[in-house]
Formats: sequence, structure tokens, C-alpha cells
Amino acid sequence: MHRPFYETHNRAILSVLLVTAFIWSLFSVEWGGNLFHDGGIVTILQIVKAMFNPDLSPRLLKLALVSSWRTLAYAVAGMTLAVIIAFLLGTLASGILVEGRWSRRFSAGLFRALLGFMRAVHELVWAWLFVAAAGLSPFAAIFALAIPYGGTLGRILADIINDVPPEPVRALRAAGAGRVQVLFYGYLPMAMADMVSYVMYRFECAIRSAAIMSFVGLGGLGYQIQISLADLKYNEVWTFIFFLIGLVVLVDLWSMRLRRGLVS
Amino acid sequence: MKGDTTGKIVAISGMSITKTSIILALVLITASWGFILTSEGASLSEYFSAGNLYHTKKFLASMFGLDGGKPAFFSAESWSNALKLTYETLKMSVMAIGFTGIGMLLTVIPASRSAADGSITLRSTWYGWLVFGLIRLLYIFSRAVPELVWAMIIIFVFKPGILPGAVALALHNFGILGKLCAEVVEDLDWQPIRALRSSGAGTVQILTYGILPAVTPKFITFLLYRWEVIIRTTIVVGFVGAGGLGQQFRLSMSWFQYTEITLLLICYFLLVVGSDMVSGLLRRITQ
Amino acid sequence: MRGKVTEIVKPAVQLRNVSKSFGGNVALSPLSLTIKRGETVALVGPSGSGKTTLLNIMATIIKPDRGEVIIDGVPSQNLKPGRELSRKVGIIHQQLDLVDQLPVIHNVLAGRLGEWGICRSLLSLMIPQDKELAFKALNRVGLIDKSHQRTSRLSGGEQQRVALARLLVQRPQAVLADEPVSSLDPARAEDLLAMLTDLVREENQTLIASLHAVKYARRYFSRIVALRQGRVFFDRPVSDVSDDDLARLYDLKEDADAQALL
Repeated sequence: MHRPFYETHNRAILSVLLVTAFIWSLFSVEWGGNLFHDGGIVTILQIVKAMFNPDLSPRLLKLALVSSWRTLAYAVAGMTLAVIIAFLLGTLASGILVEGRWSRRFSAGLFRALLGFMRAVHELVWAWLFVAAAGLSPFAAIFALAIPYGGTLGRILADIINDVPPEPVRALRAAGAGRVQVLFYGYLPMAMADMVSYVMYRFECAIRSAAIMSFVGLGGLGYQIQISLADLKYNEVWTFIFFLIGLVVLVDLWSMRLRRGLVS
Repeated sequence: MKGDTTGKIVAISGMSITKTSIILALVLITASWGFILTSEGASLSEYFSAGNLYHTKKFLASMFGLDGGKPAFFSAESWSNALKLTYETLKMSVMAIGFTGIGMLLTVIPASRSAADGSITLRSTWYGWLVFGLIRLLYIFSRAVPELVWAMIIIFVFKPGILPGAVALALHNFGILGKLCAEVVEDLDWQPIRALRSSGAGTVQILTYGILPAVTPKFITFLLYRWEVIIRTTIVVGFVGAGGLGQQFRLSMSWFQYTEITLLLICYFLLVVGSDMVSGLLRRITQ
Repeated sequence: MRGKVTEIVKPAVQLRNVSKSFGGNVALSPLSLTIKRGETVALVGPSGSGKTTLLNIMATIIKPDRGEVIIDGVPSQNLKPGRELSRKVGIIHQQLDLVDQLPVIHNVLAGRLGEWGICRSLLSLMIPQDKELAFKALNRVGLIDKSHQRTSRLSGGEQQRVALARLLVQRPQAVLADEPVSSLDPARAEDLLAMLTDLVREENQTLIASLHAVKYARRYFSRIVALRQGRVFFDRPVSDVSDDDLARLYDLKEDADAQALL
């Protein structure tokens, strides 16, 4: 009974710590009426009211549909590259492609650090760096999406590969398979189901990320939301937001069904 | 035997969804790349052209302060300013995860199927299901809208600062954390809780003695995990004027103070790596 | 011909003073053993007697601390992993070493990976290569109609037969089997052992199998090597092994369970 008690104790201390940190953060805000813009409350009411009355004119619906497709297309393109990056760097980061304990550790350490760096920086920051360095191009947005997503997916792939049961791998080695053959006949088939669910989950996130690429000038739902907001056309804003939600929900449904199919 | 565990993947019904998904994925990939390479006029050769290479070199040189002038990352004043912003950003992230956590705790019980179907209260009511559906809808709504869009809307109401940033981050993460945590409640083992009830415990006692201890470790894990994500995103909500490193980043960008940006990126990177380590440490404690 | 003469003389597997310990626990005390070509040898002994370690050393999965392992006349450290080794020895473990997620045929064809280059093995995942070989093997183990099913959907006994089919495709000179039937019910265990020993005799291979139940050893094998605490307790042809030997091996003279094992 001693251990569980100790554990709950630990968690209690941690919870208190987290709550204290939150309270500490609240002190940095000067609470009072000065927090809001003049007329800010009125604006928020207008925005909320517009939510129940989105602009559904044919012109706007068509624009929203085209923008949704553009956002989706960039998300898909970014994810394609991300999966390729994840496959290459993830297998290297798992260390299974090299022989010997030290070279294995070296490979894993090096590529895990690289993947960590890729995903530490937010996709929009990457996008801005690309645009500032080489100008606006669809590739700036695609690369910006692919780098942090490739970093995350690669880390996950490396983790899954490292957790694969060792017996089938040993058997393949004993049957004369080389390292690359073991990867394709053992590690990848065993990692596939988990990896697919994770890729689908990240694909949903990629749609949101593709939408906010509007900040570096990419067209799509985010761009339209930005324009309509600037024009104070809140009804239009909500139309685009609802399309974005619809897109995310569709992908979510797809990934849920697929996951159920893979696990059942 | 291995076949009994997760091995029995893809039942006959699953086969079709797998195949459909593969076809759908291939269609999507072809159509997307086709669209981007033709209608969007993306050209790789143009992107990697000599002119662009020259720009890239110049840009990198100015980021590292090689184009004359004193780089910001060698100036103590800039450092102290950047560190102050980092500190503010950290506070923004803590505030954001705090708001998220409060929102989640307030809604998570009615948002779990177990509450609606009567596993907790022993009564399944129509309004239980209604509240369940409404909150789930709210979760979907909240998480489908990116932080940045929330920030753009919020900034209409609040004056620039870290509060609007924290609120925007919380609005988005509320839906994600709520869904994750509601699933934790649904996956609980209800046996001990029914036992509690039969020994005469009220709803409050069931919550504090039966449910809370069982879900706390997972809740804390998810909170910390979302906090890591929030830290990465703080810089982005700052872009629209929600304070912290991001806001300064945006300003330096429009003034072409590239060495300043390098300094901010260094601080951002340190913040991300540092928070990952702290979060990892705290998570290990809860295990 | 000279080559033929040496081939007859060369033992399939030879161990000279091999010892192995794991963190202070002695798994094998210096142990010597010679197994001729075409023999079917059962390794028996109480659990922890070193059977699995011995098999893994013969398969060169584990390196011995001391001593020499000579496989088909070649010292084991000189055998290149991959093709060369896979032609000399093949191993089946007590855990089914199959990749559950692959269709049966690819698990069988994995026995050809030592022969194939990388390109051919990748191509095979889409268009199975050397198909006839796989079908022949699957036919031999009676699973021809399951060749395209996911391996995870087969029963335990069927999965062991897939592992056998893989060995058939690999065609090593010596087959090592680590408790091949420990997870099967008695009827299926008998089926599998009969099949395994038949196949090995047909192909003129050498078979070395560790077994938990001695009664199988007596029925299907030609020679019994009994291990106890990392040493050879006795080593003789099946016909010379008495019940008394076995009872002493397991220290279970009065125990009813011992009768069940024999």
C-alpha cells in the first residue's frame, strides 16, 4: 500500500505546483476595464450574432468551396512530403539501419536531434523564413508544412520501430535478410497500422496549418477569413470558418473509420 | 500466442475501408499536386533558381549580421529585452493552459458518454444526452478553428497583450483537451465507482473519491503535452498582436531588423526545448 | 572425389568446450558436442538447463564466452551473416517469429531474402517472386489455400506450419527448432513434429530441436542429448535411453507429473 500512497502524494504536489504557476501567470495582467478596446464588447456581440447568420450567397459559397479545395490541396501536398521525410529520417533515427551499438546510438542521436529541431519551430515561422529567404511560392508553404510535420511523424515512426517485438526481426535476420530487407519485411509492416492512424491525425492538423499559411500570403480559407475580418464582414467570416470546420470534421470522420477498420 | 493480441487487425469489414482509403489518398495526392503544379504555377526550378539563391544568401547573411552593423544578439540591451519577452511568452503559455484546464474540468464530466448514459448518476436522461451533444459540438467547433483565427477575432475585443494571446490559445486547445479527457473518463473502470455508490456515496463524493484519483495522471499528462504544443504556438498568436515574442517578431520583420529576429528565434528555440524538458520531467513524476 | 569424402567426414555442427554465462549465471559449462549430417537430435532437460542458449549459439545469434562453434566445417565467426549463414542453419523459435501483418506468402518468401537483392525483395512485396517455390512449400505443409491471408488470422498451429514453409524455402543444411510445439495442443504437436521430421529426412537435412516433452523425443528423433545445469547429462541414441535415465534427469522419480512427461 505504500507505493500507491506515495504516488498520489506526488501527483497532489504536482497539481498544486501547476495551479500555483497558473495563478502566478494571472498576476502579469493588469485586471480592470482597461483590458478591452472601446466598443470591444459591442464588436464581440456583433461577431456572435453574425455566427447565426452566415453569408450563404451563391457567390460566397463558391468562393468558400474553391478556398476549401486550395487549403486541402496544400495540406495534402505538405503531408505527402512530410511522410517521405518522416520515412527517411525516422528509419535513420531508429538506428536499425546500422550495425553495432555505438554507430546505432550515433545514428539515432543525430537524427533524433535533427527531427527535434525540425518540429521545435512552428510551421508558420518556417513559412516566414522561406518566404523571406526565397520569395513567395507555393513551395514555401509546402516546405513549411512538411518540415515540422515530418519532424513529428519521423519521431513517432522511430519510436514505433523501436517498440516493435524483436522476435520476428531476429527470425528474418536468421533467414538471411539484410538490414534494408528487414526494414521492409519486418519493421514497416509491423509499424504500419499505428503509423497510419497517426498520419491521419496529423493530416487533420495539417488542414488547419494550411489554412493559416495565409499569413505568408497563401490563398485559401485562412486568407479569406483574414480579408473578411479586415473588412468587418463578420457574416462572411463565419461562412469560411464553417467550411473549415466542415473540412476538419470530414477528415476526422475518415480517420476515425479507418482507425476502427485497422484496429478491429 | 501473438495472433490473439493486436494481431487480428483488419477484419473483413475493415478491408474495404482500408482499400477505399488507399484509393482516396492516391486521388487526393494526385489532384493536389496536379493543382499546385499547374493552376498555382508552382515551379521547383524557379524556386531553386540562381536569383533566389542570391536572395537566400543575402537573407541568411543579414540574419547572422554579416552585412554590417552591430548584430542584436551581441547587444546586452537586446538580450535583456528578448529575455523579458520570453518570460512574458512563458506566462502567456501557462495562462493559456490554465484557462484550457479550467474549461475542460468544467465540461469534461457531462461531455463523457458515461455521464449521459447514466454510468455515473445511474440515470440516463434526455437532457443529459442534450448537454453531452452540445458540449461535444462545442469541442469540435473550438478545435476546428486554428489558434491564429481565434486570435484574429479576439484581438478585436482585447487590447494587445498576453491576455488575448492566452485566451485565443485556450479557445483552440479547450476542444482538443476536452475531447481527450472526456475519452479518459469514458474508458474508466466503472466497477469501483458502482461499489462506491452502493455504499451510499453521493455524486460529489463519487467525483472526488472515485473519478478524480483515477483520471488525474492522464489529465496531467495531456495538460503537459498540450502545454508543449501551446509553447510552440505562442509565437504565432503573437503575430496578430497578442503579445510576447511573436509580436516583437512581427515588428522586427516589418523593420527588416534581421539580427533581432535571429535573437528572438534563439530565445524561442530555447523556450521550446526548455519547456519540453520540464514537461518530460513532470510527466515522469506522475507516472 | 575428394570433395565428397570430406563432406561425409564434416559434421553438421560441432561445439568444442563452449561456455556461456549471463551476468554471473552459468548457462552453459564447457560443453562439447558433435552432430553428424542427417541426424535428428532432440535436446531435453529441465527448464533453465541451457537448451535455448545452446540452440542460439548454434544459430550464431548468441556468441559463446569461450570455445569454438564449427558449422559445416566453418568456424562460426567466419560465417557471414545473411546469405551464407542462412544456407547453413535455419531456426524456428518457440515464439512464432512471423510478421503478423504480412500475408502468409511473404512470410514464406522471407526465406528467400538471403538469396535476393534489395530491389528484388521490394518488388516481391508487390509481385511475389519465386512464387512456385512458396506454393510448393505451402502445399507441403497443407496451407496452399491460405497463401494470401493475413498471417495474424491463422491459428497457432497453422502459423507454426507457415514457419515450417519458410524453412522449406530457405533450405538450410541444419534446422534448429526451439520448443517448436510447446504452444500447441498434443494432437497438433504430434502432427507438426511428424511433418517436421519427415521434411528434414526428405531433404537430408540435420534437425536439432529442444523439447519439453520427452515422449515426443523418443517417438520422432534418432538421438537424445539431455542437458542439466548447462552440462551434457547423457547423450545416446534413442533406443538406448531408459525411463530411469529420464527420471533421473528430471529428479522427479516419485512425482506423477514425471510419468506424464515420459
